[in-house]
Amino acid sequence: MGHKTYFHIKQTGRNLRHNWPTQLMTVMTISLSVLIFSFFLLIYLNIVNAGSRLGDELRLIVYLNEEVQPEARPMYENKIRDFGKVERIEFISRAEAFERLGRQLDSEKDVLADLGPDFLPPSIEVYPQRNMRNLTGLKQFSDYLTTLPSADKVQYGQSWMEKFGYFIELLRVIVILSGVLLIMATVFMVSSTIRLTVVAKEAELEVLRLVGADNKFIQTPLLIEGIMQGIIGSACGLLLLYLIFQWTTGHLSGPGFLNMLDFSFFPPKTTAIIAASSVLLCVGGSMISIRKHMRI
Amino acid sequence: MVDNGSTPAGSIPRNNQKPVLIKMLKSFPDDMPIVDIVKATKVYPPDIIAVQNVSLAVGKGELVFLTGMSGAGKTTLLKMICCIERPTKGVIEVAGNDLSRIRQSEIQKLRRQIGVVYQDFKILPRQTVYENIAIPMEVMYRSPKVIRKRVGQLLEILGITHKREVQAAKLSRGEQQRVAIARAAANAPPLILADEPTGNLDQEASGYVMELFEQLNKSGSTVIIATHDESIYRKSRHRTVELAHGLFSGHVGHRQLPLINA
Repeated sequence: MGHKTYFHIKQTGRNLRHNWPTQLMTVMTISLSVLIFSFFLLIYLNIVNAGSRLGDELRLIVYLNEEVQPEARPMYENKIRDFGKVERIEFISRAEAFERLGRQLDSEKDVLADLGPDFLPPSIEVYPQRNMRNLTGLKQFSDYLTTLPSADKVQYGQSWMEKFGYFIELLRVIVILSGVLLIMATVFMVSSTIRLTVVAKEAELEVLRLVGADNKFIQTPLLIEGIMQGIIGSACGLLLLYLIFQWTTGHLSGPGFLNMLDFSFFPPKTTAIIAASSVLLCVGGSMISIRKHMRI
Repeated sequence: MVDNGSTPAGSIPRNNQKPVLIKMLKSFPDDMPIVDIVKATKVYPPDIIAVQNVSLAVGKGELVFLTGMSGAGKTTLLKMICCIERPTKGVIEVAGNDLSRIRQSEIQKLRRQIGVVYQDFKILPRQTVYENIAIPMEVMYRSPKVIRKRVGQLLEILGITHKREVQAAKLSRGEQQRVAIARAAANAPPLILADEPTGNLDQEASGYVMELFEQLNKSGSTVIIATHDESIYRKSRHRTVELAHGLFSGHVGHRQLPLINA
């Protein structure tokens, strides 16, 4: 067993020594593919994360044309909960709405001086549960809330929600496309490299067959080659992304959009999954080439 | 319609019979022919007859010279014995293994027990002399220590110790031939097939090579040498078999095993 591993590694070393320019090109292509894919994945995951945090503040406001009396509140609550589970419901009277607006205007609250405390409509603020925080769910809930007694209008920032949803969808498509690109580039490049190795080693493979080398002796070094390409390629790609990430966060810190997003790098588990996937793709590429181009 | 029977190195033999596991050459009984060729014919397309209806039996531990002019069919016969070519007709058995019935993985096992010196050497030009000679031992996963020792021995016997780390491409034809011989002898295989092993060597080097074959033969290997170099078999005590136009034309020597042109 020990000798077998020794000879497989030795044979791999010979392959690498004789074919290093091709190997280098392959590693570079894999690195770039991993970089492109993980770059978009990183942006996507961070934006989804940010969207989820913003979603915590999401609420539907039902404006009413008359105050809800305390004894009528359970009836409203029951009716709202009939549609689906909600995290909480808050009843805002005209006076509370006026007071809140005053707090928001802060130093400019003088503009309210000439207006009476009754000029704002009373409302009910409904905080839906997390599973209902999608555009379709919110639309349906909003339509339902308009049927409440005395309901005038329902608002939930639908324009912003729609734009954010489309942006997330676009990112998802980019991540999928770059993933497909990664798969295609990796499999193609690795299988081409192994094919070139096989062609370049045709004479050697013939001699190996003639002296009775078994399939394992011939195939294992080529598989090790594929695994090494995957490990080195993905490690370089991820390292490059990490350096770009560090540089970007270092240079774009301070108040702004990026800070609001609270950008973070992949957790170790995701990093390991990306690296393992690259290695698997490389092994796949090697296998395709070995099966296709070697009659052993 | 003639089946050319040409089989690339390592491909699976085509026939309808169930493949069988091979018997090992070393444990094969001494009193039976280790190589048994029965009415073998080889026709290359379109209709070139390389070997015709030839039968030959080589006993275990024998050294046989297969002689004849160029094109007589010596190389084809050796290629059929080591499963590079398949006979168009007839049966070839090595240690009781019918070569047309053994499966691919078994062919590899069989080849590990046969050392072959090819006429075109088949050495790897980009690898060193040491690496070339070590290949058959690496394939059998021998310990690196054993490999180093054996390669050293062979280099010394063949007088090329000083070329150990030289790339094979930089050697002369004669040196390359000696590397090919060393590779064939590396595992001290039970059966050695040598195709014109002294073709590019001077008299002195030919002497070393023949000494090596004699040594291997004395230690139990069966050796078949295809040659048209009369100087190496003329005074030999070993059996000489002559091929002409794909047919045996005669044999001399002390050991009488079946040899027929059927």
